[in-house]
Amino acid sequence: MTDGFGYAWQALTTTPAVFAAMGGVVWGILGGALPGISPSITMALLLPFTYSMEPITAIVLLASTYVGAEYGGSIPAILIRTPGTNSAAATAIDGYEMHKRGRGGEALGISLTSGVMGGLIGLVFLAGLTEPLAKVALVFTPPAYFALGILGISVIASLSEGSLIKGLMAGVFGLMVATVGTDPLSGVSRFTYGSPELLGGIPFILVMVGVFAVSELLVQASEPEWAKTGSVQTRMKLPSFKMHKKLLKPNLIGSGIGIFEGCMPGAGGTIASFMSYNEARRWSKHPEEFGKGSPEAIAAPEAANNAVASTALVPTLSFGIPGSNSTAVLLGGLLIHGLQPGPLLFEKHPDVIYGLFGGLFVANASMFIIGMLVLTPTIWLVNRPKPYLMAAIYALIFSGVYTIDHSLFDLTLVLIAGAAGYLMRQLGFPFLPLVLGLVLGYLIEANYRRSLLLTGGDHIVFLRDPVSLGLLLTALVFVIGSAWRDIRSARRKGAADKADGSAPA
Amino acid sequence: MTRDAWIGVVFLAFAIVYWIAADGIRISPLDGPVTAAGLPKSLAYVLGTLAVLLILRSLALKRTKGGEPVRAADAAPPDDAERPALYRHLRALGMLAFGIGYLLVVPYVGYPLAIVCLMLGVAVYIGARFGAKTAAIAGLGGLFFYLLFVQILDIPLPEGIWPTLFGTLQG
Repeated sequence: MTDGFGYAWQALTTTPAVFAAMGGVVWGILGGALPGISPSITMALLLPFTYSMEPITAIVLLASTYVGAEYGGSIPAILIRTPGTNSAAATAIDGYEMHKRGRGGEALGISLTSGVMGGLIGLVFLAGLTEPLAKVALVFTPPAYFALGILGISVIASLSEGSLIKGLMAGVFGLMVATVGTDPLSGVSRFTYGSPELLGGIPFILVMVGVFAVSELLVQASEPEWAKTGSVQTRMKLPSFKMHKKLLKPNLIGSGIGIFEGCMPGAGGTIASFMSYNEARRWSKHPEEFGKGSPEAIAAPEAANNAVASTALVPTLSFGIPGSNSTAVLLGGLLIHGLQPGPLLFEKHPDVIYGLFGGLFVANASMFIIGMLVLTPTIWLVNRPKPYLMAAIYALIFSGVYTIDHSLFDLTLVLIAGAAGYLMRQLGFPFLPLVLGLVLGYLIEANYRRSLLLTGGDHIVFLRDPVSLGLLLTALVFVIGSAWRDIRSARRKGAADKADGSAPA
Repeated sequence: MTRDAWIGVVFLAFAIVYWIAADGIRISPLDGPVTAAGLPKSLAYVLGTLAVLLILRSLALKRTKGGEPVRAADAAPPDDAERPALYRHLRALGMLAFGIGYLLVVPYVGYPLAIVCLMLGVAVYIGARFGAKTAAIAGLGGLFFYLLFVQILDIPLPEGIWPTLFGTLQG
């Protein structure tokens, strides 16, 4: 641990990580405040720019953006009842009520301080849990790594929105996209059809930018203009000491739930924020105030979603299995710099890991000041006409993607991915399994073939290895459990429709 | 047939085409027990199986009149009487067309002009009034991106035909 502090201190004092942390928070707040621009999109927009950065700076920038975006989403949630991020939806309930009663500044202050507290508590758990969990992966053999990749996709597919089958299909499709290019083991080209640009494969960063950012723009093209704050001047008002005492319980409830949910793949900030809202109400001395502008109803979900922003990194850094779209983008950032998550990351690049922890500390702590300073520009930005914002984001995407390889072909791939992402949204396919399949494709295939090389092609190796067997059985349990849930839900709905005679023809 | 059943049919067809394409992957002497085509073919089988399951599931749901179970918020936006699905899709296609247009013209007109046109076109398309104000904002935006990417970040964005044209004129 002492070494860890040393690495963190060195990273913060010898690299631009501090500036990356603060810059990431600013960018995250601005991006998160714009309705429709999720934390993952805000991070994906930065990905092309991180190519030329040092690994620590790049990872701290992306992680800090996630931190900032989770707070940024609460600003429009409170001021115009339109959450900037999904996880701020719970905040909108009481935050807007407080704003209507002239206490908008107080609501923003509570959101900020609770977010900082949740983020810092989550960071303690992140720093404490990640390395021990990563050491578990030291016993992983090639079959176990293969099984881990399968488990990751299965879990995410079973927990994602939409049906299980569609989630699995999206994951398989992602794996298919990952096979395009030159086979890493034999050098044979696959699905390139003579295109030299495809020999290196389809970079997942292009798919991420397309699927997350471009598809959102395509959706926003037909969405109405979002509400504006008008000319209301809102000054942030930090909670008093008495209010801090009152908010301690919901802050701890939110942080606890956020820590737990963050570690669970597929759970995420939205579930954590609503769960903590409900639990805070259950444990509140004044539950009747919830829904009418209760400060506790803002504190709990904000602490939760910021705690998630820290602990969601636990499965990502320990096993390389991102649990959410945002951590998938962060994983992309790690892989771009040749950093493979897992125990070897702690052995070979402790400076990056502890530098990340240090950067997150700076991000969460500085968010306290930055959140106050950027409130006015953020409100100004949210009030800008949507056409100009969308045009600027589109231009940023095209300009930023070109910086990767200076190739117009990359832009073509981004547009194709954007169109595919739009279709996926319309047809009810979740994104995350696709992204996971793409990101984990190499890990899964390489370890699959390596395992069979060791045994001369005998697939029994995946069942003989105890870790592999355990992980594959766990994947099966998740898939079967999810399928059973779907079947039960369909039967219940069918019975309800028959009962009230409203069944469709 | 339900929408999901059609999706299943499309994916089943895709899985078959993908398998055929995978079958055409060359076998290398460096291949082990699993060739370069091994995983793609396996994925084709899995996708085909899932597609069939999707078809069967949607037909079963339709037969039991249970409808589509929703485990979380609907992934697809509901049809709106004011904004029917076709309107949304055409709007999205229009946005995509701007991106395609940018790709087609940028090698000729160069990055600065192309990005200004992109911003102007998209802004008007999304709802800004076409006029001096929007043109000025697009111009300023283009200038900002030019300074950021070309001057500060030193990215060699496309220059178009202008250097050649001016070189020819000077020559």
